[in-house]
Amino acid sequence: MPIAIVACYSFNVYSINPGPHSFTLAAWHDFLHSAQYLALFWKSVKMALTVSTIIVLLAYPLAYYIALSGTKRKYILLLLLLAPFLTSYLLRVLAWKVILGNQGVVNTFLVWTGLRSANHPISQLLYSRFAVLLVLGYVWLPFVALPIFVSLESLDRRLLEAATDLGASRWYAFRRITLPLSIPGVIAAFLFVFIPTLGEFITPSLVGGTSGYMYGNQIVDLFETGFPDWETGSVLALFLLGVVAVLTLVFARFLRAPQLKAT
Amino acid sequence: MAEGHDPLERRLSREDLLRVAAAVGGAGLLAGRAGIADAARTQLLKESGRLKVLDWAGYENDGGQPMFAAYVKAHPKNKPQFSYMTNEADALAKIRAGLKPDLFRPYVGWVKYFATSGLVQPWDPKLISNFKYLNKFMVKAGQYNGKQYGIPDDWGLDAILYRSDKVKPKQRSWNLLWDERYKGKIAWFDDPVENLTIAGLYQGFKNPWDQTDAELQKSKNLLISKKHLVRLIWSSETELDNAFASGDIWIALAWPNDWVQMKKKKLKVVYMHPKEKPIAWVGMFMLLKGTQRFHLAHAYVDAWSSTKSGTWLEDNYGYGHANTRARPTSSDLLRALQLTNPQAVTLPYAHLDRDVPRRATYAKLWDEVKSS
Repeated sequence: MPIAIVACYSFNVYSINPGPHSFTLAAWHDFLHSAQYLALFWKSVKMALTVSTIIVLLAYPLAYYIALSGTKRKYILLLLLLAPFLTSYLLRVLAWKVILGNQGVVNTFLVWTGLRSANHPISQLLYSRFAVLLVLGYVWLPFVALPIFVSLESLDRRLLEAATDLGASRWYAFRRITLPLSIPGVIAAFLFVFIPTLGEFITPSLVGGTSGYMYGNQIVDLFETGFPDWETGSVLALFLLGVVAVLTLVFARFLRAPQLKAT
Repeated sequence: MAEGHDPLERRLSREDLLRVAAAVGGAGLLAGRAGIADAARTQLLKESGRLKVLDWAGYENDGGQPMFAAYVKAHPKNKPQFSYMTNEADALAKIRAGLKPDLFRPYVGWVKYFATSGLVQPWDPKLISNFKYLNKFMVKAGQYNGKQYGIPDDWGLDAILYRSDKVKPKQRSWNLLWDERYKGKIAWFDDPVENLTIAGLYQGFKNPWDQTDAELQKSKNLLISKKHLVRLIWSSETELDNAFASGDIWIALAWPNDWVQMKKKKLKVVYMHPKEKPIAWVGMFMLLKGTQRFHLAHAYVDAWSSTKSGTWLEDNYGYGHANTRARPTSSDLLRALQLTNPQAVTLPYAHLDRDVPRRATYAKLWDEVKSS
């Protein structure tokens, strides 16, 4: 129902402005012919792709270690990994401002070690695209590690034992057995971070500065910052929803566990 | 002259008549005032429920900040209940979407827009005892078609705050907001009208609040070309104050309160009025059409309008107050806001913010700047 209402706004069937209004595709037409919105969307796609890829690459070895190293403390490690979820999202993002600012933990440490002078801190740490990447990565890391951990944890260990018995090296067994069987978890993890970061607006507004302005921020602005333009804002929101739905459908076919081919 | 009538007798009769008229009129006036007061009191008693106030964060507090403590004391069962607006557009969207506050507080540039929107109704100044102390110029700015749609309260300036130990302006101009020497140390304010207006003032356009298409393009292009120098576009004072205090920002478009806060932190700061003149804003309480708490809303605004409230606001928030008898303790603030000057919000001292006929266009262009 809410999506239908948003759709009605996008076609001007509903309007926040008083007076007569009727069905029109004007906002959709403007959106599809707007270099501004599409460029912003592409910027967000690139940001989300970068964050998702880096985080998956970082989280995989972490999940691998916890799931397959045979450590008795794996659930304690898993709990530690999930511990940030015990605090609020906003607080986790704001904490990074304390760490990355000119007088933050990182710069203070660099000044203390003599690597930087107090008058020349590394300003690019905060209010930059780097800050957005870093904070988004931190925020979504547990979301990524968890599905990979689950897929690795449920791996049939007998397959690895059989590979070892048949003379396969650990790397060969990883390439031919572990990795293919954990791919559904990796794809799920990728989607878990890609979808929310694509429409993210809180982190960019808090740590992104002028270069961190994203598609999600544009939607928020259209609804409430400059002058309410719910028609265009609804179009942007629906377009985002459509892209996410298509991506989910495309990736869903990869979420089933693959059959291993005998060689 | 009618025959048989003594002229003297006629003159005396006129005087007597005037006396009688004065006596009757005075009595009537007194009776009328007493009647109005009684009627208002009766109406106040009839109104029930908590007063719904849509206001900016920082002006809330259900227990009653000193600005409206008198109201809470007089109407403990009708304490204000707050919801928040981040800007006027946000308030407009919330009200259009169904929120029904009894009153809210846009700034002076939005008076005409709301007055013609059908969403608000005029106030009755007779029900606000402190109305007579409010700055006449600001009172006039709250009127539309002769009716008092906005009751002025807080006011201040948009000017440039900078660190005097780090920044040496070449001239007192808005162009300090895009001075190449301070790349990465500058903050703009996230407001579509404000930035394009400043660009218009800087370029000497005739009416920066109603720029032509060509002028708007020039203003937009100027802002886009300078955006790479800017580190932060702030939308909350807390965000700006933190960035300024931590040294991330040295120059910002700021409000008087930010200057007060930075001085409290012992930073060397200057609140510079540019030669093109700062922009003055005045908060205007507006009354929602069809409110069920008409008299309570007036009582609340009356409390806000008192000298005591105004002085407290000036001392604690660093803003001016429309009550001309309110004076802050700080002589710095008194000077910075020219609080003894009743026309401090208008030329030749400042540009009073005003209605923007093409606000949606400004908003769209500002979005282009931000996303560039």
